Amino acid sequence: MSILAVDHLSKNFRGLAAISDVTFEIEAGSITSIIGPNGAGKSTMFNLITGYLAPTSGSVSFQGRRITGMPTNRIAELGVARAFQIARPFRELSVHENVRIGALFGKAGPRDVEATTVRALQLANISDLSRQAASALTVGQLRHLEVARAIATRADLLLADEPCAGLNPTETAAMINVLRQVRSSGVTVVLVEHDMPSVMEVSDRILVLDAGRLIADGAPATVANDPKVIAAYLGTPDAA
Amino acid sequence: MKLGRTQIVVGCVVAALLLALGPTFLPSFYVRVGQLMLYSAGLGLAWAILGGFAGYASFGHSAFIGVGAFTAGLIEARFNSLPAPLLLLTGLAAGGLSCAILSALIAYPILRLRGTFFAIAMLGVSHVTAEVTNNIDFFQGSLGLNFPPIAPSTMDPASFFYELFLAGAALILLIAWWIRRSRFGSGLLSIREDEDTARMLGVPTERYKRLAFVVSAVLTGLMGVIYAHSLGYITTDSVYRDDTNLSLIVYSLLGGMGTLFGPAIGACLLVFITQVILGRLLDFHLFATGLLLVLLVLSAPGGVLGLMKRRRKAA
Repeated sequence: MSILAVDHLSKNFRGLAAISDVTFEIEAGSITSIIGPNGAGKSTMFNLITGYLAPTSGSVSFQGRRITGMPTNRIAELGVARAFQIARPFRELSVHENVRIGALFGKAGPRDVEATTVRALQLANISDLSRQAASALTVGQLRHLEVARAIATRADLLLADEPCAGLNPTETAAMINVLRQVRSSGVTVVLVEHDMPSVMEVSDRILVLDAGRLIADGAPATVANDPKVIAAYLGTPDAA
Repeated sequence: MKLGRTQIVVGCVVAALLLALGPTFLPSFYVRVGQLMLYSAGLGLAWAILGGFAGYASFGHSAFIGVGAFTAGLIEARFNSLPAPLLLLTGLAAGGLSCAILSALIAYPILRLRGTFFAIAMLGVSHVTAEVTNNIDFFQGSLGLNFPPIAPSTMDPASFFYELFLAGAALILLIAWWIRRSRFGSGLLSIREDEDTARMLGVPTERYKRLAFVVSAVLTGLMGVIYAHSLGYITTDSVYRDDTNLSLIVYSLLGGMGTLFGPAIGACLLVFITQVILGRLLDFHLFATGLLLVLLVLSAPGGVLGLMKRRRKAA
């Protein structure tokens, strides 16, 4: 069953088409990566799904319900959470308080706040940091905090924006592990990611965007050998 | 040392009782200083519900002092046959209600502005309300409004208003404490820290900001009503004051921005400095206050409470 359906979605910034006529569905319980060169429209896609931006045309449905046009906080209440690439922690608050705010709001609502917070901290593997101020964390730890806070909302869908960007190999492996754990706990994961080895390793399916269009969609091995994808990343031989 | 919850509650009750007994043993000058401290603390706490918790620093809260005071005065003049306690309650209800209506009306447009823009827009609100009060005859802003004496004849008016200000400040502190611990309060903190992220997590940011604004405005208005009674006669200039607009920010800066007790501590400190220490240096007290503020804020950016926290960590 599909948890997210993107239907003929387009977004123009003045004349520039950031997303043009993209349609896809995401299976519940899967890990899907959206890849593509810089400027392909990956982050715009996330901004459209979470309601941060309004599409020019087309729509997004979550669990069969049309969410296009809803305010961002309402979409979060339905069960869509997002982890930012450039971490946006509540700096003055502790790690625990950061995650607790996720548990107080989102889909979780104010039930079992403490237990939900503790579980999210464990799942993201940052329980030992819970008393620290968010401002004292490293880049890698902040990414884990982003994920913890997002899943504390008891979201059914986690949109993770480049969770591995700028991390060293050890940190990347730890993050991949967390994302797997998140999926095992029943959350559908959609990633935007540049780090190809991680993408190939963790994804069930890969969507490739180029200049706002969906140019490939399939299993990692298929997509990696698709001539259109290679052309998008490296250019075509005869164009040179 | 970390205090338990019972200890804090007992401490607060004892402190409140001691404060309430103040006028029985304090010389009259200090009763008046106490009045001013409690009035300022109440205003500072009310301001901080929006400015400290949600991070929307208003530079125009005297608008609500003025609107509360003038509404109460105009309404009470029509019900002046009522006994004093009822008259005060009528004034408080009318003043609170008018502040609620005004703040609810301007909340939507003005809370779309952030940071400095919000602060300056609020300064505009306080000036516009002051001009309206001053220039439309109905409000009697330039002529002035009389407030009937409400202190019981058995009690010294200064002590009576001291107790009223204490009750007001205590009520506001309780409300602020309750908000700080609630889901609403956590939502406000997340708005202060990063409003877009808060919304992304499901915090109903628009509704929460508006609610915090209205609560802050109403509580400020209530203090304004008591203040007007303590003066007995007010004109536009006695309630719509730019130095109040400024002081409300300074209280939080001095005591600790975003903390529960910070605004009250900052208010008492500033009143003590300006009224007691510098009270005799009238020519130069503004200069000295300014200098002192700069030094305090530079040496303790987190205010008094921030300084204490740093000390505790170092120890």
